[in-house]
Amino acid sequence: MVSGAGRRFGALEVFREISLEVGEREVLVIIGPSGCGKTTLLRCIDGLIPLTAGEIRVEGDRVVTPREGVTMVFQHFGLFPWKTVYQNVAYGLKLAGCSSSEIAEKVPKYINLVGLSGFEDYYPYQVSGGMQQRCGLARALSVEPRVLLMDEPFGAVDAQTREILQFELLRIWDMRPTTMVFVTHAIDEAVLMGDRVMVLKGRPSSVHEIIDVDLPRPRDRATLSMPRFAALRERVWSTLMDDARRAEFEVKR
Amino acid sequence: MSTNQVMLEQPAAGFAPGAKRLLASPPVLKVAAGIVLLCAWEGVVRVFAPAYVAKPTGIARVFFSVVSNEQFLAAAGATLWAVIQGLVIAIMLGMAVGLAMGRVTVVERGLRYYVNSLFATPMIAILPLVTLWFGYNADARLAVIVFAAFFSIAVNTCDGARSVPLEYLEVARSFRARPLSTLLDIVLPSSLPYLIAGMRLAAGRALVASVVAEFFISIPGLGYYILFNSRTFKHNEAFVAVIALVIVGVSFEAVLNWVTRRYLPWARRD
Repeated sequence: MVSGAGRRFGALEVFREISLEVGEREVLVIIGPSGCGKTTLLRCIDGLIPLTAGEIRVEGDRVVTPREGVTMVFQHFGLFPWKTVYQNVAYGLKLAGCSSSEIAEKVPKYINLVGLSGFEDYYPYQVSGGMQQRCGLARALSVEPRVLLMDEPFGAVDAQTREILQFELLRIWDMRPTTMVFVTHAIDEAVLMGDRVMVLKGRPSSVHEIIDVDLPRPRDRATLSMPRFAALRERVWSTLMDDARRAEFEVKR
Repeated sequence: MSTNQVMLEQPAAGFAPGAKRLLASPPVLKVAAGIVLLCAWEGVVRVFAPAYVAKPTGIARVFFSVVSNEQFLAAAGATLWAVIQGLVIAIMLGMAVGLAMGRVTVVERGLRYYVNSLFATPMIAILPLVTLWFGYNADARLAVIVFAAFFSIAVNTCDGARSVPLEYLEVARSFRARPLSTLLDIVLPSSLPYLIAGMRLAAGRALVASVVAEFFISIPGLGYYILFNSRTFKHNEAFVAVIALVIVGVSFEAVLNWVTRRYLPWARRD
């Protein structure tokens, strides 16, 4: 739950008066034009950077530093190049203080869940971007978080891999639904993933609109061809696009 | 690439294409260049220099008697041992100081100018002073080696620790890593390629320091062996010690390359 959240870097106020609440096992997608502070907001929720106004509570506790039960999947994957796929997945578990037998049991399980079995001993540079993000996902899932923060997780992979990974994530989420805050700038992805889509707009940005996505779950490729999907997609598109065009032509001073 | 170009060129008149390709192959070129250089050396010394000046045939003649000579082996062992000892000390101290400088702003601000200045200083310059502090003995040599090697390790480790990508630190923080765990598990491995580069530099400097210290202090070692034999007109023998130094230097390089390939396969790409 976020209330009255604001963040400024010196004179630059990134966002202000953002309030939102994410229910248990709900997927909230945050979408907005580039530079609107959606990633910053997500980092605040994770406790990586502090807010300058308002507060964030997770499970009732005020967030000041990263907390147990909340993990993040990064756009830049954040894999350690000197660790193998196996060791990268084990990293979170090791820091969580799991015993070595627990690690030996869980790591293969989650590597299998994301479809990376057989690649345990590869180094990140040896596998594709899509596989790297699968690894990042396995690392986040392995600590069995109650809240999953997704920071444009498929932003750095190519379009086809992105689609594959989206459906993989839906499949994984259906198997073990967790609360998820998902930041993206892709409209299709937002509507496909979210129970609600929150549109951030303006400078400093604030919540412009929250759109309920009443598409049935489980969702899969067939969801994309539903008329309702197209209608929702159109709705998010029109709320977003005037601003996006303005943001594109904004000159930095 | 070079073979491609050779294939594309028209064969020169008078040369069979096979011979031309053979001449262009790297190993053949290397050996050929080596033979040419040795012949030139031999020729120049024979024509212009006195008989005691080192020349390839002379070196070859004394080579086996020198390398089986006890005194020579003791000298080589002393130098090698001193360099290894010095490097180990310099690596331990340099890593500690470098990591502290790289991760603690106060330490970095305090020490940066001094460490960088001393890094740029030829450490041979302090040799006469070191002999006053330690005496004319092996300790002075060890001190000079450590001085020569320490700063390149410290500077490189510091650069490595400072250039740990923020993403890695963010991930560590997100998973609630403790500072010590971040240092050992993230900062240290991430700076390893820099540390290896520092060690490469340090090994070369340490070898120079050792040889010059032996020249100056006159304690058993390859440097002193070279000095003594040169002054007694045994230049061929002295040159065998030079070859030994070359081998030591190249071996350090080879060991570091092997370690990088074996244990840091990820470091070659980024």
